[in-house]
Amino acid sequence: MKYTELLKANKEIQHTLHGNEYKIVVLANIIVSPIKEILEYTLRVQGIKAYVKFGDYDNIVQDSKIFKDSNLIIIFWELSNIIDGLQYKANLFDEVEVESLISKVKSEIDFVISNFKETSLVLINKFSSLIFNYQNLKQNNFDSIAKELNRHLEQKTSLNIILIDIDKVIAKISVEKSVDLRYYYSSKALYTIEFFKEYSYFIKPIILSSNGKSKKALIFDCDNTLWKGILGEDGYDGIEMSNKTRDGIIFEEVQSIALDLSKKGILIGICSKNNPKDVDELIDNHPDMKIKEENIAIKKVNWNDKVANLKAIAKELNIGIDSMVFIDDTDFEVNYIKKYLPQVTVLQVPSKLYEYPRVLRENLGILYNISESDEDLKRIQMYKEQRQRESLKNNFETLEDYLKSLDLKLNIFVNDNELIPRIAQMTQKTNQFNLTTKRYTEIDIKHFIESDDWKVFAFDVEDRFGKYGVTGFAGVKINMNEQKAEIDTFLMSCRVIGRNIEFAFFDFIISYLNNLHISSIYGEYIKTLKNEQVKEFYESLGFKTIFNSDDRKNYELKVADYKPKNLAYIRVQYGK
Amino acid sequence: MENRIKQVMAAVFEVDVSEIDDNSSPDTIDQWDSLKHMNLILALEEEFEVRFDDEDIMNMITFESIFSILKNKMEKNKET
Repeated sequence: MKYTELLKANKEIQHTLHGNEYKIVVLANIIVSPIKEILEYTLRVQGIKAYVKFGDYDNIVQDSKIFKDSNLIIIFWELSNIIDGLQYKANLFDEVEVESLISKVKSEIDFVISNFKETSLVLINKFSSLIFNYQNLKQNNFDSIAKELNRHLEQKTSLNIILIDIDKVIAKISVEKSVDLRYYYSSKALYTIEFFKEYSYFIKPIILSSNGKSKKALIFDCDNTLWKGILGEDGYDGIEMSNKTRDGIIFEEVQSIALDLSKKGILIGICSKNNPKDVDELIDNHPDMKIKEENIAIKKVNWNDKVANLKAIAKELNIGIDSMVFIDDTDFEVNYIKKYLPQVTVLQVPSKLYEYPRVLRENLGILYNISESDEDLKRIQMYKEQRQRESLKNNFETLEDYLKSLDLKLNIFVNDNELIPRIAQMTQKTNQFNLTTKRYTEIDIKHFIESDDWKVFAFDVEDRFGKYGVTGFAGVKINMNEQKAEIDTFLMSCRVIGRNIEFAFFDFIISYLNNLHISSIYGEYIKTLKNEQVKEFYESLGFKTIFNSDDRKNYELKVADYKPKNLAYIRVQYGK
Repeated sequence: MENRIKQVMAAVFEVDVSEIDDNSSPDTIDQWDSLKHMNLILALEEEFEVRFDDEDIMNMITFESIFSILKNKMEKNKET
């Protein structure tokens, strides 16, 4: 898309977006003004209501005091303009001068990072000497300054700070296309429109992930997708997926990529037209098969059409259809899914097989997971236990009978530091049972836990089939003087929906707040495309509506009026 | 070509196309500052697949001058 078209489209799309504004501030010691609309548009087409503002030119240090409350800070700290003309001056410096410059910038970095320690998310571009030095065989002062400052940055990164390796962006489009020196000497503008497009594309997965918009599952077809050949025709011994054969090595690499993803919490699934017994036998016994049963969250191996199968997969995994990526080799299946399930991201195995691993890697950004947690590793096991529960469910007359049979145990934690990564991740990922859909990073949650004005409630659940892990969170703002509390966030992971756990959790929260002598509690429902199911949640708890509009409702509850549900079939424990 | 230039200018300065006329300049369009001027040049270069040199860029500060410099440039391109 041309820049002019992008400017127009960006203006038009802004009126179609709902929800909270996502405030981005770009701090830079060079002019980077074209990034505004390019980054805004890149995010707005993904449904994020992004607004980009700039700090003052070459005021990164000073501005780090001002913009703490943005959702995202991006820092362009350009090496060549740390002092004017460093790209040529540095190489005339003696050792002492180099050292003193490095130590000055290090202390500026420390100051900036400490000012942003409570900001949700900060992206800092790594220092780069590439555009002025790519032709040099020997390392010079300019290179070593970049190297030393990057080493320092790496030591300073914390939960909320992500370093962006802009050399990778430059490598993708070339040095020549990344920079426009015409404006560098006169106006201190260095990068081209093309660079900003590529840069926005490069960082997009981080922002999508922190807004709960990453993909969650990667679903593979089998024949000529996980292995070379057709199992039903070439047979157990005829298919190829190891480095012993020319094409097999490609599939070994693809399976290894999938295996790595499954260990990072991405759900790996199979959706294939095959005989289920053949595929099971292969997965269980074939020595070349890298992906084993324990890595696979779901399998739909049958002769049904793939639209129906993918819908069933989404339903059973309890994820949105738009959270799935599907890979197949045939035009027929790829076009069929694109046509009838356009929400699914569909990838096709390229006809030039050697391109396959690269295509897969290029598209992995949409599966980016900003906060990996221990829960990710257990997720596949949990989805399997879930399916056992589903089959039990069919044998009961009433839901209550079923819930009684589950032997549910709820452990509730208040202000528990160990749960910070998981709680942040839940705020980023949970879309359905989420009253306000506010996204928080680990640093935000840490801040709440340390603050006297917040109580952070979380729970884990188990039943006789196994553990669900940490699956619920409520963030409550407390005003002790006025004896009031406001429920900022109340959410549950979709894998524990339908067990009335939310009511047991709420009983606990109310009794906890009652002990703090809180008398009034305020709640809010902010409508999104996905949280319809909780639109009357506060009503069901006895809250009174005090404000009601199309996209938001506000509630009040007098603690004295609250009627606990006291569900006998859920055992509640406080702490470990 | 005149219309395409106006479209680009309108998009960069975030004004309606009807507000751009022959005499449009930084004096008549509030948003036309030095940063937007740079964005305008980049947008025109991409739109018309040309590259301006320093002197052109400094002189392209009215609609009229943009039109004549661009026209000149594109004719030269055709010849080569």
